[in-house]
Parts: sequence; C-alpha cells; structure tokens
Amino acid sequence: MKTNLARDWGPRCVVFAAIVGLWEFFLSHSGNFLLPRFSEIVSGAYRLVFFEPRFWQALFISNQALLIGYAMSVAVGIPLGLIAGRLRWMDRILNPYVGVLLALPVAPLIPIVIIALGLGLAARVFIVVLFAVVFITVNTRAGVRGVEASLIEMAYSFGASEAQIWRRIVIPGAMPAIFAGMRIGLGRAITGMVMVELLLVATGLGRLLLEFSGRMQSDLVFATILVVIIEALSLLAAMQTIERRVARWAPDISVG
Amino acid sequence: MIKVRALSKAFGGYDHGSAEVLALSDIDLEVRDNEFVTVIGPSGCGKTTLLRIIAGLIPYDQGEVSIDGRAVIGPGPERAVVFQNFALMPWADVLSNVAFGLEIRGASTDQCQAKAKELIKLVGLQGFERRLPKELSGGMQQRVGLARALAVNPQILLMDEPFGALDEQTRRLLQEQLLRLWERERKTVVFITHSMDEAVMLGDRVMLMTPRPGRVKEMINVPLGRPRSREVEKSSAFLEIKEYLWDNLRAMQAGDA
Repeated sequence: MKTNLARDWGPRCVVFAAIVGLWEFFLSHSGNFLLPRFSEIVSGAYRLVFFEPRFWQALFISNQALLIGYAMSVAVGIPLGLIAGRLRWMDRILNPYVGVLLALPVAPLIPIVIIALGLGLAARVFIVVLFAVVFITVNTRAGVRGVEASLIEMAYSFGASEAQIWRRIVIPGAMPAIFAGMRIGLGRAITGMVMVELLLVATGLGRLLLEFSGRMQSDLVFATILVVIIEALSLLAAMQTIERRVARWAPDISVG
Repeated sequence: MIKVRALSKAFGGYDHGSAEVLALSDIDLEVRDNEFVTVIGPSGCGKTTLLRIIAGLIPYDQGEVSIDGRAVIGPGPERAVVFQNFALMPWADVLSNVAFGLEIRGASTDQCQAKAKELIKLVGLQGFERRLPKELSGGMQQRVGLARALAVNPQILLMDEPFGALDEQTRRLLQEQLLRLWERERKTVVFITHSMDEAVMLGDRVMLMTPRPGRVKEMINVPLGRPRSREVEKSSAFLEIKEYLWDNLRAMQAGDA
C-alpha cells in the first residue's frame, strides 16, 4: 500500500505544483486584475470556510438537492439498467427514451421544470436526477450485457432459477460497470446542482457564486468552485474505496 | 443411459425470410451407463449443439432425447457440464466457484464447503482455494471447472471440448488426470473434441460426425484396455483408428480447406 501511495501521489503532486506555478507565473505577468492568483484563491477558501457563516448554510442547502437527487438517480437508474440489460423487450421499449435523455440538453429545460415544480427543493432534485440518472442506467445496462452468456448458461446447467441467476451471476458481473455509472452520475449530479442554482433558483452555493461574482470577488468565486471540487473528489474517493472491495476482480473500466 | 433417437435441430434466422440452418439431422446415439463416448467431427458439424441438447440447455425440434427413460426437457441433477471456456465466475475464488453448483442445488453452507474442499484436493488444487480465476493458468482453471461439475456428484458428465483452449502439454496432462479420475469413479461421459488423439485416447467408443447437417457417420469401438496409459499411443490399434478418423475427416473437409 505504501509503495502505491508513493507511486500515485508523487507524480500527482508534481503535476499540481506545475499547474499552480504556471497559474501564478502567467497572472503575475498578465496584469489581469480580475483573475485571482492561486494563493488568493486558497486564502479566499480559508475565509469562506472559517469566517463566512452563510457558506455552511449554502453548502447544506446545495447538498440536500444533490444527495436526494443522486440517491433517487441511483435508486431508479440501476434497476432500469438491470432490466434493460437482461430483458430484450424492455430494452426495446426503453431504448428511445434513454437516447432522448442522453442527447437532451438539460440546461434549457430548467425554466420549464421550475414553472412546473416551483422554486423549491423538488425542482432542484428533479434537475439533478435529469442530469445523472441516464448515465447510471446506460452503464448498468452495458454491464449486464457484458456478463458472459456462458456464465448464465453454466448457472442454468446446474438448474439455477432466474432469481438465482440474477443474484449470483448478473448483478455481481455487472457490478464494475454499475460503479462506473455511479461515478459518472455523481459528477453529472454535481453539475446539475450548481447549474440549477446559478440559472434560476438562486440558493445554496449557486447563490453565493452569483453574489461573489456580482461583487467582483473573483477570489471567492474560485474558492467556492474549489470547495465544490474538493467535495466531489472526496465523494468519488469514498466510492472508489467501496468499489475496490466489491469489484476487486475486474479491470478498472470506469470513466469520469 | 443416454438415448438419442432421430434427433434433428435447426437454427432459425432472427429475421423473417432468412433460411433455417439444419444443424443436426437424424441423430441416433446410445450411451451406456459408465461408458466414455467421445464425439469428433469437422468444425460446424453440430457436435456442441448435440451436447447442449443432451444437457437440456437448448430445445430440439424432432426426435427423442431421454436419460434412463425420462425425456430431457431441461437441465437435471444427474447431469453436469464442463465448458470449453471454463465458465468460471471471475469475481469468485476457487472455493466459491467449485461450490457454486452445490449451492444452486440447495446444499447447506457447511456441506458445500466440505465437498468443495474435497474436490479441490481431488483435482490437485489445494492451496489455491482463495485465488481468483485470473490468477490461475488455463489448465488450473479447467480443473476448477471439472471440480465444480464433479462436486454435484453427477451420474453423467457432459464435456464440451474441455481441453480445446489449452496448450498441448497441459492438455495431455489433463487427459491423463481425467482418465485416472474416471477409472477410479466411473461415470457416463460424453466428451466433445476436435483432437483425434484425444478422441481415441479417452473413449470407449468414438462417434464420428459429418459436416452440416450433422449426422452420425460411424460409431467406432476403441479396443484398448483399461486402465489406459500413454503407452497405448504407440499401439497399432490406436494408430489404426487415428488414421481411419483422419482419412474420413480429410475426405469430409476436402472442399473447405
């Protein structure tokens, strides 16, 4: 484990230092007074986290929509993907709708959703679901399709029932792809959360972002984004830890 | 006893209008209890289809397939299949893979574990119980597949080119191991192969099939004694049958190659 840590984090830190160095270098030579230096962003984040009471409130409000919406996406997306993957006729029914959801630009729909569901939590949750659910479904379906037919036949040859085939073969076999979908879905859910708050329902972190940019406090704008990124990375890392335990047999296939 | 009478099977195209392909035509086969029958034929002669029908994995169109007088309508507890591509669950360790059939058939966890360990020992994989399939060589993987099939104590073992994916040395070692296992505890075996050596080395009888549609060209008795060792490969009877098989197979495939 220790060698892994060193192997991964050494180069990562080097890349990070290079990006920060370039950032600082270009800003000190460009004379663009609106773009904050990296050091200013960090100090902005420090002020935000420790001295801005509205920040924690905003984080809480945003995360409500994120967590509820994401949980719903997982709860709906995985079963739909499992069914579409295993049952041809369901797949044929769902296929065009999945296509629509995949191609759909969600942002222009936000006003319509707000009109239909109001300015409350429900609308924000719904948008998060719209952003995330289809990627979870599509990956789960691909995972189920990817389960080797010979394994299903093998189980059947021992007299396995459909329920046993699901529990012992299909779901474990699709697990790596399900996790891949959940990871991509999480990224999309975070995008959806910030998007809806920026575009229409001025609340949570989106409202803070609007306020900071309105006052030209670009360091705080970047600091808020930095916090969102850190939260996303922590959630992804937590998910990867679970994934490694559940799907240690599979090659790493997840994207996102 | 496995009894196949006047069996035919066609595979239809998915679209309307595409012609059906006759895979098996008018197959007659009787396999006596504790007999080892090997099936050989050119590629695409439907030998795997025949095995899958006997296993109850796919339906058939015409004829009768029965085991001890009961018609085959699906998989049954008296049969177990060994697959060409091993069909091991990549997420499960050796022990779980071997115990799979037992668990599906409702044995208690303790029973499964004990029986699985016994079989793992029988195929010489003790010490590998906690390994994943990807950590094993091909030969070891198929020994897991064999142990899984034997664990449910089937009366009939259906083997679909089980050693076809293995290299020559591994294949020969596994053939010898299978012979020893079978000589110790006799089972009825139907063994699909495309290797003439294998067909003669293992079988009591060799069933020679014709190319599509698959028919029984000939049932050949193998007059070699048991227990059998590698020595028989040098005997004139062995070479004669092998030569005979090759003459036939070459004639069948003359147009294709």
